[in-house]
Amino acid sequence: MIPLGYFTFLSAFLFCVGIYGALTRRNVIGILISIELILNAANINLVAFNKYLGSPDGMGQVFSLFVIAIAAAASVVGLVLIIAIYRDRKALFTDGFTLMKE
Amino acid sequence: MHIAHYIPLFPFLAFVINIFIGRKLKIASAYVAVAASSLSFLFSLQVLNGFKSGLGSYNLGTWLTIAGKPLDFGIIVDPLTIMMLLIVTFIGTFILIYSIGYMHDDPRFSRFFAYISLFMASMLGLVLADNFILLLIFWEGVGLCSYLLIAFWYERPAAAQAGLKAFVTTRIGDTGFLIGMMILFFACGTFHFTDLKSVTGPESLLTLAAILIFTGAMGKSAQFPLHVWLPDAMEGPTAVSALIHAATMVAAGVYLVARCFPLFVAHPMALQTVAVIGGISALMAATIATVNNDIKRVLAYSTISQLGLMMLGLGVGGLSAGTFHLMTHAFFKALLFLCAGSVIHSIGTQDIQKMGGLISKMKITGVAFCIGTLALAGVPPFAGFWSKDEILLTAWNNHHPILFGVALLTSFLTAFYMARLIFLVLFGKARSEMHAHESPATMTVPLIVLSFFAALAGFIGSPLKEVEMAGGHEGSFFIMLISTLISLSGLGLAYLLYIRRVVLLPMSSIKALHSLLVNKYYIDEIYDALLIKPCLRLCQGAFGFDTKVVDGAVNGVANVTQYCSGVLRRTQTGLIQNYLLVQVFGVVILLIWLLKI
Amino acid sequence: MNEAVFYFITICTCVFALLAVTQRDIFHCALWLAMTLLSVSGIYFYLDAAFLGVVQILVYVGGIITLFVFAIKLTAHIGVKSIRQTSKQWAISAFITLILLSILFRVFAKNPWANIQLEHKSTSVVQIGQSLMANYALPFEFMSVILLAAMVGAIVIGKVNK
Repeated sequence: MIPLGYFTFLSAFLFCVGIYGALTRRNVIGILISIELILNAANINLVAFNKYLGSPDGMGQVFSLFVIAIAAAASVVGLVLIIAIYRDRKALFTDGFTLMKE
Repeated sequence: MHIAHYIPLFPFLAFVINIFIGRKLKIASAYVAVAASSLSFLFSLQVLNGFKSGLGSYNLGTWLTIAGKPLDFGIIVDPLTIMMLLIVTFIGTFILIYSIGYMHDDPRFSRFFAYISLFMASMLGLVLADNFILLLIFWEGVGLCSYLLIAFWYERPAAAQAGLKAFVTTRIGDTGFLIGMMILFFACGTFHFTDLKSVTGPESLLTLAAILIFTGAMGKSAQFPLHVWLPDAMEGPTAVSALIHAATMVAAGVYLVARCFPLFVAHPMALQTVAVIGGISALMAATIATVNNDIKRVLAYSTISQLGLMMLGLGVGGLSAGTFHLMTHAFFKALLFLCAGSVIHSIGTQDIQKMGGLISKMKITGVAFCIGTLALAGVPPFAGFWSKDEILLTAWNNHHPILFGVALLTSFLTAFYMARLIFLVLFGKARSEMHAHESPATMTVPLIVLSFFAALAGFIGSPLKEVEMAGGHEGSFFIMLISTLISLSGLGLAYLLYIRRVVLLPMSSIKALHSLLVNKYYIDEIYDALLIKPCLRLCQGAFGFDTKVVDGAVNGVANVTQYCSGVLRRTQTGLIQNYLLVQVFGVVILLIWLLKI
Repeated sequence: MNEAVFYFITICTCVFALLAVTQRDIFHCALWLAMTLLSVSGIYFYLDAAFLGVVQILVYVGGIITLFVFAIKLTAHIGVKSIRQTSKQWAISAFITLILLSILFRVFAKNPWANIQLEHKSTSVVQIGQSLMANYALPFEFMSVILLAAMVGAIVIGKVNK
């Protein structure tokens, strides 16, 4: 009853919001949050296709599980890095991280 | 067998040896040079022998092909060449011996001998060359050596400038020479001297070519208007002045005209140009020499004057007369320069107004000086009389009364200023404090030998008697008498003025003429204003153009690049979010491109 | 009824997501993120992926949000509220993101399967379990290695060097 397209629109919207956040947030944790949104958008897509097109072994949902796991691992490492940087610099604003300049 | 091409080789070897290991050889470098030049002299004698028994010019091989015609390396062997070979090697050897004493304390002793050896090699190559191109190579070689030797004491700015002046002035002549050569080739397709006898081509082109070739001779032989370098060239060591600027290099111009004589004879206008320029130079230089106070410069102007006389002799059709005078002049002029060098070496000054009464203190030099003067003045039976008489004879017989008169006047002035020179230097009372002593044997022995030749060379007669122009007969007594009287009257006038101190004309009446002569007719100043200053301004303009426009453009390119890089550098912000933005933008572009196509 | 639920959950998700990326206070962002993830979990439930929905809540909301909160509190500093939270390039980013969104919408709208209606094909937990152990055993093992690596890495980086 809900066409598959609607789920893809939702996924696209979440994806774009996530990208906007990744490009715009000054706090590094904000960037991580945006990345979570992106990953979730992908997940929604996977699950929706799995439901509508069907698959013998539930490929979409299994893939989704893996994505969740990897997202978790990524955020763990990211957050630890952030804490390490915070210890060193006492500030977390991306404007200040210009070591790659020139 | 053919050995003539070895003759320039020995001095060249001496040059190579002296350049590379001369410093270690010290005085032995002089011996190397003397040995090489004596060897060349012996070989020249052998070539003379061989020529008498029939050996003539020969070919050494083809060098290149120009416009389909081969250009060969060749050696020419004929009386003119043999005479030049003997003169250069003989006088050169004695001047080298003289230099051992003269350059004794010089720190660059061996290099001097290296340069002189290189000069001799080039000069000998010049007279042996049988085509214009080969001759030009050696022509430039002698020019180079002249420059190196004039500026030998280059710590003195006057010497360095004199060397440059000599080089640039002869270069101007050389340019004319080169153009003349090319026109000649264009007109008749040959570079070889032996072909000049039978050259045919458009009259005006060939005349132009001959005149342009003569400009090369003008430069090298210091004829008007390219004579300005020779007096300044006296900044070099006196041995250099004797060898190069009296006997040999300046004679190269005369040699060139003599070599191309068939070409000049076929085009009377060119021959006339030669005679007129020769006459002008002879008279002008003689007048300047009468008031000059530098012993070497008097001799330099005398050289210009005598070369003018030689050109005049050639120009009136006297090939044998002109070359005969070249031979005798080489001997007595070299002798006179060596005597002057001996005087300068012992006293230390070149100003004749400070000298006087030297004959009692420097006997050998003094006697040699007198013999040379008498020879130059044309007093019989010394050598100069015979050769000058031949020139006068040829001029008279070929109906050139004006040039005859010019030659006669020049002889008078020559006798006058040479007598003035010896009266001021050798006789009379000493005019300033001087410590004079006779020079060492290495310097006096060449003087003695050369004075012997200066006295007696006239009796050899012209070496080119066989090729004399038709229409001349042996010695007219009348001409001989006139020329003797003229010389003696010149000597007499000088005696009156400088020994008896008779005042013929008050100084004030001839002050203007005197200052004109003392300033050498202001020719140097005219050249400076007309030619040199505009040229310098042009150079400065070009320099300004180069620094502002050319360098400005290059620097401008660099500045633009730097500016652009400064602008582009701003994209490297170091902020990852900026980079990410660009990436997303790129992805968007890609999607648009891929999905809409 | 079905659609209404879908629309409600969708709107919630979108609104919460927007809030999560625009709030000034990072702690609020994290909380809005939690709400977003709950909504997403709701979508999973709507799609009959019950197991996944539960896993989402457990892992994401329960684990990752907790981590975020910890990190936020550990890196908090004075005067955080007054500092601008969006960087200088927000306008360009918004513009480009909107373009991206429109491209994606256009592509998805034209897609052949965009109009597939719902057919009841659901996947049970048993099926998921069997795939994990059979077809996808290798990725499963890799996952465990990755998680192990992440743990070790976190411990190493997080060590305080004295």
